[in-house]
Amino acid sequence: MNSNTPMDNNAAEEKLVSAASSEVIINIEKVNKWYDDFHVLKDIDLVVKKGERIVVCGPSGSGKSTLIRCINNLEEHQEGSIVVDGITLNKNLKNIDHIRTEVGMVFQNFNLFPHLSILDNLMLGPIWVRKMPKAEARATALEYLERVKIPEQADKFPGQLSGGQQQRVAIARSLCMNPKIMLFDEPTSALDPEMIKEVLDVMVELAETGMTMIVVTHEMNFAKTIADRVIFMDEGDIVEENEPLQFFNNPQHDRTKLFLSQIL
Amino acid sequence: MAFVKKEITPSRPAPLSERSVIGWMHKHLFSSFYNSILTIVTLYIIYITTKGLWVWGIADAVWIAESRRECFDISIDGACWAGVIAWMDNIFYGRYPKDELWRVNVGILLLIVWMLPLWLPRVKGKIFIAITLISFYPFLANYIFLGGESSFFSQFMVSAAIVSFVVIMLNAIIGVIQGQSISTFIATRLGSSLKSEKSQRNLNLALLIIAFIIAFLWQQSWVLGEVPWTKWGGLFLTLVISGIGIATALPGGIILALGRRSKLPVIKVLSTTFIEVFRSVPLITVLFMATTMFPLFLPEGFVLNKLAQVIIAVCLFNAAYMAETVRGGLQTIPKGQYEGAHTIGLGYWGTMGLIVMPQALKNMIPNIVGNFISILKGTTLVSIIGLFDILGMLSSVSRDLSWIGLHKEPLLFGAMIFFILCALMSKYSRHLESKLSTNRKT
Repeated sequence: MNSNTPMDNNAAEEKLVSAASSEVIINIEKVNKWYDDFHVLKDIDLVVKKGERIVVCGPSGSGKSTLIRCINNLEEHQEGSIVVDGITLNKNLKNIDHIRTEVGMVFQNFNLFPHLSILDNLMLGPIWVRKMPKAEARATALEYLERVKIPEQADKFPGQLSGGQQQRVAIARSLCMNPKIMLFDEPTSALDPEMIKEVLDVMVELAETGMTMIVVTHEMNFAKTIADRVIFMDEGDIVEENEPLQFFNNPQHDRTKLFLSQIL
Repeated sequence: MAFVKKEITPSRPAPLSERSVIGWMHKHLFSSFYNSILTIVTLYIIYITTKGLWVWGIADAVWIAESRRECFDISIDGACWAGVIAWMDNIFYGRYPKDELWRVNVGILLLIVWMLPLWLPRVKGKIFIAITLISFYPFLANYIFLGGESSFFSQFMVSAAIVSFVVIMLNAIIGVIQGQSISTFIATRLGSSLKSEKSQRNLNLALLIIAFIIAFLWQQSWVLGEVPWTKWGGLFLTLVISGIGIATALPGGIILALGRRSKLPVIKVLSTTFIEVFRSVPLITVLFMATTMFPLFLPEGFVLNKLAQVIIAVCLFNAAYMAETVRGGLQTIPKGQYEGAHTIGLGYWGTMGLIVMPQALKNMIPNIVGNFISILKGTTLVSIIGLFDILGMLSSVSRDLSWIGLHKEPLLFGAMIFFILCALMSKYSRHLESKLSTNRKT
């Protein structure tokens, strides 16, 4: 196996230069969410700058997935305010649709459309949502397939691809919409170990372009490589938040120490 | 000691027993002593039954005779197919006037030819074919089958049907030969004189309008005598009722299924009530209710004929059934598909129309076609409320004085017709399933 993986790297050496600007792109204030009686998110505050790369980690059930799913309204929050790219998320369906076109999302289970070819999966959003002419959408789709390094799979169907390839297609599908923010919900958790690297490589390349990214992941070496900030969540609360070096080498909260000792 | 494989073992073909006919027979028919006995006994049973059927239905059967008595005189224990043959026209067309039978044939032929390009891979613009078929063909069919005086609106629609039929045929011919659509064909023929897309569109529009005017003037010279619906019957009537039922069941079912899953309480309750009411009542009851109770709901002075009432009842009933089939299909679609669609910015209709419905309907093809088959067979119930569909006609044979008491043969003939129609549908559904199957592994 190639030893030049993000996981094996000395994080301090390979650390990407932060692309964060001073412009706020996501502003989450006092957000609360309940599933029936279960309080999943408790008074969450989070400000994300344009170009910032944030890694969210924490034990399962800590609310980290729920938090990022609230950002594009896949989950509805009940209290507090979420402002994405200047648009407030509320009951207004137009706002929700608008935010969703600006925010790309990649899921643990890829969620590709199995009845469409890879190319059609990529072209669907640009054609139907962005109203792009077909030829242009096709060119864009092929360009992004090239970027995720699987142009030769364009005419296949999702079911014929490996997990790693499917996840890269999913990333390309989101990028085709030309989003301002990319959310990743445990993108490598459903993959075989052999395939994790190819997906992480694509994500590192994406980070290099200055994309605003929020990544829920347990790939700690990846976090060290790309993150501007690491957020640790537990029981619906943000317990600790720090830049990666400090976070990993010098955790403050007992809960964080315990978590890190278990996964590293 | 370390072991290192020098090269990967190459694949070889499977053993002969997996591939040859003898191998297959050995494995599936004669794998053990008892299986061999079972095979032989089964073959013997098949032999006895088919032999009986052969002797009665073909070897000893009477094909040419004037009456049932004559049949008996020729062969006492053979089938009397002469009766079925004598009634053939009635079984197919009911009491449709003999001189006008060509109208039924032409109408059905037009439908088939209209749909044919849908199956030709090189033909472009299939959505246009489907839309024109749904919106214009019913008017054309109404004009051909029913005839008589027609209003300006229906003349207009018939002309539109003629124009779209001609356009579709030309498009299909050009598509098969050249592999391009009719508009690009015209554009390339005229060459560089038409540069902009706009002038090309104008030209197409002008051609369409000219064709429409010609068709309109032409169809005004047509004279088709009226054949009232009371004369319709036989297989033709069965196909009319079940055809309309099949054509409306799927769209109706989709709307009802979406309604039942709607977040808006009013729509949800209305759809659910409609579905449950129609599903909990037998079709024959719905038919009786339709013919006796529809008139009560209609505004005064507005008379709907019995056939129309029956067709509406069949449509509503089958839409309710189809709704549950479609809902079952919707439930097979994982939540992730909705989320995937939402994250690329698709709204409700985009998500449903582009992502969820295509997959749900594909998963449900066997059930949907099963519904279609039961619609076709279910329409025979209309014979009970006094319409002479194919079943009504088949049982009338035995009341004909010359063929009195002839039950078996007509019913067997009817069974064969239904078998052929249903087998074709289910064969096509299996073909469709394998054609649309994309996930060889998920």
